[in-house]
Amino acid sequence: MSLGFRNEIGITVWLAGCSIADVAILPRSRPPVMRLFAGRPPSSVLPVLPRLFSLCAVAQQVAYLSAVEAARGEDAAAETVQRRVTAVVAERLTELVRGLFVGQLALDGTGTAAVRALMQAATVLGRVASKGARGGAMHEAVSQIRSALIALWNQPPEPGRAGAATPLASFDADALSFPAVEQSFLSVADDPDVVVRLLTEGASFSGAPELHGRIPETGVWARRSGREQSLPLDAGPAERLKARVAEVARLLAWLDDAERDPEVGVIASYSLGNRRGAAAVECARGRLYHAMELDDENRIVRFEFLAPTEWNFHARGPLVRSLKGSLLAAGQRGQDAVRTLVGSFDPCVGFSLNFHEAGCA
Amino acid sequence: MCLAIPAEVTKILPDEMAVVSIDGVSKEISIALIENLAIGDYVIIHVGYALTKIDPEEARRTLDLLCEFSAERQEAVQ
Repeated sequence: MSLGFRNEIGITVWLAGCSIADVAILPRSRPPVMRLFAGRPPSSVLPVLPRLFSLCAVAQQVAYLSAVEAARGEDAAAETVQRRVTAVVAERLTELVRGLFVGQLALDGTGTAAVRALMQAATVLGRVASKGARGGAMHEAVSQIRSALIALWNQPPEPGRAGAATPLASFDADALSFPAVEQSFLSVADDPDVVVRLLTEGASFSGAPELHGRIPETGVWARRSGREQSLPLDAGPAERLKARVAEVARLLAWLDDAERDPEVGVIASYSLGNRRGAAAVECARGRLYHAMELDDENRIVRFEFLAPTEWNFHARGPLVRSLKGSLLAAGQRGQDAVRTLVGSFDPCVGFSLNFHEAGCA
Repeated sequence: MCLAIPAEVTKILPDEMAVVSIDGVSKEISIALIENLAIGDYVIIHVGYALTKIDPEEARRTLDLLCEFSAERQEAVQ
């Protein structure tokens, strides 16, 4: 059997001396979900999603269910929406935390046990969140995560502070300097345009999305821009990872306090008429979209999805804009800095990174 | 988003490492984050680490589904 999937993004960096002359992105294979889901009742597809997307199963299922409801012209009960928001936030927290440690640390015995405890605590949190439980059970789950983070960092997660165990501890800030680039961010305000184009243009849009010349960034850094009036001009790995730690602290506080208002737009549904609907879910990597059309017998006629990675790793997108024209230190030092920057754009994307001298065949 | 392709553990190595088979291709990964893995178990891998152990029947269903996708992709490009 050969699945023939390319499940990681290929990034090729072309160097001209000590600067980055060009960057090429080879995207992952996109599963042809439309061809397989067409003609099926929506309920038969729901169990398939966690099998395909196990790292972001909650976000995928919530986006799917919300889009189905929107296509049917139905509104989920407020209690259901709240339970879904809690589950999405818990999964986002898990992905952000995992991205800070797994694959970033050379784990020794102590580190391994601490990360394992953290992942087990995250599993408990996911179970509690999926039941919609708040109060005591949620407080206990959040406390376990905090304790595991303190064991790794020797300090609680707080905005602006990153522990010694994060990739920040070894980041060489002098190994990469960036050109000043204008930053653009995907937001809830873009949803209506995105979902309409997703249904009308299909794969040609979702494979390389662009909004009237804009290819905005989505994810942690974009969410930070939505909360803060001004962002640091330095959008390098250190600032991005600090933003991730700050978000972990914020999400822990939110999950622990049922009285707080949720973020705006964690889940947004759009009824588009004629049995068409869409939804957006703010997951760890950024905004995830599902859009669909149903026929009169409630079967799927069209299904499209757009992953946040398609914006951030677009051939002319935020990562490429950040890298092109950057100056980097010679040899492994510079290459390591580029690797850290790529990882800081997305908490969990798999990628391969190759360097070539421009002009060399 | 990343597809979750199940990998079968084919060999346990020292230092919490293992060899897994993914779609017939062998790969060495860390199993430091999962306790009590054995040959024949299925895991979901992320950036070189086994993240979760999954039920063999669930793994088979997932692989069947991915095979369907693969066949659809090949039809689409022909």
